[in-house]
Amino acid sequence: MRLLPAVAILWVSGAAHAQAPAPPHDVSGVWGMQPGGETSEDDKQSPGGAIPPMTAWAKARYNQEKPGYGKRAAPGGNDPILQCDPMGFPRILYFPTPFEFIQVSNRVLQMFERDHVVREIWTDGRALPSDPDPLWYGYSTGKWVDDTTFVVQSTGYDDRTWLGAVGHPHSEGMRLEERYERVDRDTLRFTLKIDDPQAYTQTWVALPRVFKLRPRAEIRQGYCVASEEAAFTRRIREPGALKKGAGSKK
Amino acid sequence: MTKLSLLPLILTSVVFAHHGNSAYDETVRVPVKGTVTEFVWSNPHSQIYLDVKDKSGKIVKWGVETNSPGILTRAGWTRRSLKAGDEVTIILCPAKNGQPVAYIGSGDPGTKVIFADGRELDFTDKSIEKTAP
Repeated sequence: MRLLPAVAILWVSGAAHAQAPAPPHDVSGVWGMQPGGETSEDDKQSPGGAIPPMTAWAKARYNQEKPGYGKRAAPGGNDPILQCDPMGFPRILYFPTPFEFIQVSNRVLQMFERDHVVREIWTDGRALPSDPDPLWYGYSTGKWVDDTTFVVQSTGYDDRTWLGAVGHPHSEGMRLEERYERVDRDTLRFTLKIDDPQAYTQTWVALPRVFKLRPRAEIRQGYCVASEEAAFTRRIREPGALKKGAGSKK
Repeated sequence: MTKLSLLPLILTSVVFAHHGNSAYDETVRVPVKGTVTEFVWSNPHSQIYLDVKDKSGKIVKWGVETNSPGILTRAGWTRRSLKAGDEVTIILCPAKNGQPVAYIGSGDPGTKVIFADGRELDFTDKSIEKTAP
C-alpha cells in the first residue's frame, strides 16, 4: 500500500507528458505519419479508406496506370514519380517522410522532405479562385474553425498526378477538404475529403490518419534527381523487373 | 541463373513496405555476405553494390536498393557509413525473379548491414523519442 502514492505520481506524470495540451491556433512543427490502421493494400501511401466508384472517365485513366503499390502492384510500371515528376497533393502527404508546418502572418507553409516542396496555405481570408490554372500542389486556403482545428480547402490541381501510390486518378476540378485537429501537443488527427465528380461518383472520405510531433527531426532536402533516378533504374529497378529466368548471363 | 546458397528466414507476419517496388520478396530476410564495391548516396534511392562469391567461387555483382539520404540520416547513417572494401553481411529482401538485386530499408524491419566486427547499420529512426514503458 505504501507504494501506491509513488505509483500514482508516476502514472500522473506519465499521463501529463502524454497529454500535454495543444497550444491554441498552432500547428507548427515537424510531423510524421503514424504507421498502422491500414486494412487494405490500397491504403498504402494513398488516401485509402472507402474508395467510391469511379466514373467511366476515371476508370479509363486508372486502367492505363501501372502502380508499384496496392492490389495491382507489379514490377516496372508507369508511376510518374519514377522519372521524378512532381508527386503532387495529397499524395506527398502519404510519402513516408515527415513534413513541417510553418506559420507566418498570412499563410501556413507546409514543407515536405520529398523535393523540398513548400505548399502555401493562405490564411488571409481570400477565397479560392473560381477557374484556377492547374498547379502541381494546387491552390489552398485555411482557417481555424476552433482553437485546435485547422481546416484547409483547396483546388486547382494538375491532373497528371496520382492521388496516391496505388494509382487513383483525379481531375483538374478536384476539391479537397483537410482537417488537422491538434488533440494534444504531440498529436494531429487528420481527415481528408475528396470531391471530384468528374472522377468519382461520391465524395471520397479518406482513411483517418494520425501525425505525431517529431521535435528532433529536421526536414532534409529530398530532391528526386532525374539523372540519379535513371541510373538507379538501369542498375537495380530494371534487373528486378525482368521476368523470372530472363536476362540471365551468369 | 546464378545459384547462391541463400537461407531465407520466413517471417511470421505480413510486412508492409514503404518503397514502391513490388519486385522484392518482402516475406523473407536473406543474409548475403560480400565486399562493398560502391555506396551511392542519392535521392530518392541510395544503393549499395557488392561482390558476392557464389558456391563455385565465382564473383556475382549485387545491387541493393535502400532509403533516401533523408531517411538514412535520421537512422544515423552518413555518406561515409559504407566504403569500398568493407566486408559486410546484408540481411535483405531479394528480388522475386532471382536476379542479384535486393532491398533493405525502413519499410522492412529486420533488414540491416552487419560489418565483420559486428557493428550494425539499421533503419531505426533516431529522431523519434522513445516513450516511457
